[in-house]
Amino acid sequence: MANDNTKNRKAILVTPEACIGCRACQVACKSWNQLPGIKTKNNGTYQNPPDLASAAFNIIQYNEVPSQENPVRWLFVSRRCMHCEDAGCMKICPSGALYRTAEGAVAYDRDKCIGCKLCVTACPFDVPRYDTDNKVTKCHLCFDRIAAAMHPACTKTCPTGALKYGDRDELIGTAKKEGFGTIYGEKDLDGLGTIYAFKDEPKLYGMKENPTIPSSVVFWHNYLKPLSVIGLGGVVAAAAIHYLAIGPHKEKEEEV
Amino acid sequence: MAEMVRKSRVDEILNHWILAGSCILLSITGFAFLFHLEPVASVFGGFTTMATVHNWGGVVFGLSLLYSMRDYLKESLEYDADDLGWFKVAGGYLSHKVTVPPMGKYNPGQKLFYLAIVGAGIAIALSGFGIWLMKENTTVMLVSHIVHNVAFIIFVLAVPIHIYLGTLANPGTFQIMVNGMMPLSDAKKKHPKWMKAVGKM
Repeated sequence: MANDNTKNRKAILVTPEACIGCRACQVACKSWNQLPGIKTKNNGTYQNPPDLASAAFNIIQYNEVPSQENPVRWLFVSRRCMHCEDAGCMKICPSGALYRTAEGAVAYDRDKCIGCKLCVTACPFDVPRYDTDNKVTKCHLCFDRIAAAMHPACTKTCPTGALKYGDRDELIGTAKKEGFGTIYGEKDLDGLGTIYAFKDEPKLYGMKENPTIPSSVVFWHNYLKPLSVIGLGGVVAAAAIHYLAIGPHKEKEEEV
Repeated sequence: MAEMVRKSRVDEILNHWILAGSCILLSITGFAFLFHLEPVASVFGGFTTMATVHNWGGVVFGLSLLYSMRDYLKESLEYDADDLGWFKVAGGYLSHKVTVPPMGKYNPGQKLFYLAIVGAGIAIALSGFGIWLMKENTTVMLVSHIVHNVAFIIFVLAVPIHIYLGTLANPGTFQIMVNGMMPLSDAKKKHPKWMKAVGKM
């Protein structure tokens, strides 16, 4: 199901240069989604938790990228579900648990999830995580809040404007006007719902260049799925035509 | 009543029904997963239970396929000049006027069909286990997913033809799947080489 309501498409704009790494977004997310804390170990970075988890729908990634002017430069990048317009997880999900909301978020119906983990393999950004009940979890853009015209918990709480929520087109327009060279996610996968205003190469911020859905998944979705129905219909039709045009096997009269 | 000859043993027939039943069950649930068919999932009480049925149905299918090899694998790998001739007249299915060469117990169309089912069956079973049990390995999951779906296409194309040829297209054939017997006179006409091999001709 494509998001035919593109005019209304909402997004989160992440501006790492404005982020102070306070991680209030992580706390607000846990608070709204009632997620438990995670026990972690210090392994030489302030980044905590170290990765997305079933109890951490968003994290601030601490990228240490020293430059000549700033030998202790940190780039704080909010990582979470990218809410791709062309979403690999939605494509491959066999139960329809992952779905698109009217605002353009990729949300999920926990009750429908069968725990197959195919979405994990099809996600270009390694986002979905499974909880202890073996159900998919990830950022859902606070679909319940935004459907009621509220802001997502993370952007609501962000004190610096490093996370902004709004109409996707407007956010992109504003970021461009403010002079950001790269709008990561503007065109990738038909446009992401989490977009990034970068001053430098996306690689520097730890972002994947040219994210793609695995080609086997695309091939399966575009060709094999239709072929299964067309093929079945085709052979049944061929059998019917054979039956009517040529007819069933008849034993020849004794002519030997 | 015409004199009958046994073409299939009881265990062979029973196994074919298990193979056919599980194949159809797996195809229906497979289509339901492909296209999120809620009404089909509801029959099983939801997609989660349907996945369990699909997985264990696959185990039944796999075991049944292995058992079937006992009866059909050897013959399905042996071809002779008459088999080539069978292809030249398309098995007599495109015209009733041609003369079909004398056949053994199974014609080369059936033998190739069986090989396709064995090949696709092994592929779909192994890839099914990959998706079911090796979720932590992304490569295994992706390869299994595409193999599972390619093999499914082979089933979707081959099985309806098999059903048609075993029922409507060849009146009387379906009876063999019920009681394993066919009239001796038919067997002599359709399977002369088999009849000669067992000394009935």
